[in-house]
Amino acid sequence: MIEREQSKETNIPIPVELSDEDVYDAMKQISGYLDITPGDFKEVYGLAFQHAISRLTRAVKAKDVMNRDVVYVTPLTPLKEVAEIMGRRGISGVPVVAEGRKVVGIISEKDFLSHMGMQKNITFMSIVAECLIGNGCMAVDIRGKSAGDIMTTPAISVYKDTSIMEIDNLMRKHRINRVPVRNKNDKLIGIVTRTDLLPSSCIAATV
Amino acid sequence: MGDKLNYFKKMKGTTKSPPAVSLLEIFWSWIGAMAGIAPVVYINYNLLEGTDFVMVIGSFGASAVLIYGAIKSPLAQPRNLIGGHVFSAIIGVACFKLFHANLWLAGSLAVATAIAVMHATKTLHPPGGATALIAVIGSQKIHNLGYLYAIIPAGSGALIMLIVALIINNIPKNRRYPEYWF
Repeated sequence: MIEREQSKETNIPIPVELSDEDVYDAMKQISGYLDITPGDFKEVYGLAFQHAISRLTRAVKAKDVMNRDVVYVTPLTPLKEVAEIMGRRGISGVPVVAEGRKVVGIISEKDFLSHMGMQKNITFMSIVAECLIGNGCMAVDIRGKSAGDIMTTPAISVYKDTSIMEIDNLMRKHRINRVPVRNKNDKLIGIVTRTDLLPSSCIAATV
Repeated sequence: MGDKLNYFKKMKGTTKSPPAVSLLEIFWSWIGAMAGIAPVVYINYNLLEGTDFVMVIGSFGASAVLIYGAIKSPLAQPRNLIGGHVFSAIIGVACFKLFHANLWLAGSLAVATAIAVMHATKTLHPPGGATALIAVIGSQKIHNLGYLYAIIPAGSGALIMLIVALIINNIPKNRRYPEYWF
């Protein structure tokens, strides 16, 4: 069970799948008798590729891929402003920081949704439906509240030297899409989102 | 049921055989084998004639295939060549000494144990299996050598062939030997 999970986590498909013919042609280019079949070579290549990916993901740290220009709010920021900021910047979550930029929580679209209306599992489309039906604005419930009231706390955060492999595992485990990055004094210094973990972003960070 | 089906499916094979080598590779394999086998057989028949010693055993023919014909193979590297012959020889002699009353047992035990020891010591060299077997089925002369068989002919013959491999295999521009020593 654990093994299956691990292989799922590290199993990144090889961008170009080799055919037996490719390997055969390559072997012809190397003079001398190679004591390996094309099939075995492909197997070695596939496994070596996985090792390279896991080496790269261990080598790349949060500080290499994080966004340093991070938008944040405080627990006292009214939700009206929080929503405005998120809308304007086109982001789906912001860290909540207290004095000294210490991370105390995080607010995402999910936190807004779960505090609006009575139903559980509320979605964006159910809100649209409510508005269209004319039952009024569901956000009324949280109109007077501030960030501290609906934030998820404590926020799951990482240090700047946390490897992106660990970050990826954290995101999968907690089903989250972003983690704030803090320095040794717990001060917010950046944020890593799922998009920052795409192989292309990581490879770009290593070269 | 599914397992049984899979068992027979495995016998079909999954991939194709490696490409043929160039004419030049064939030429240098031939030259190497000539130069490597010649001194060993010459010493055996022309210098050791009349003595108790032997310099050539059949397994050297198999070693020649690897160290002159498949020089990149891990099986053909110095560690494997020397280690494979010496370890297998010791095991072969020991099996003969312990079980010579039952030659079928001595022979099979010698080969099987030689493979296991070569694997464990990372010295797998297929001709070693023959070296172990020859210690059991060999002539009276071989049996009289006792554990000396591991040094003459097994170790020293392999060493002569190794020196020739180092000289010959490195002459052509696109050939090199060994890949590693230990």
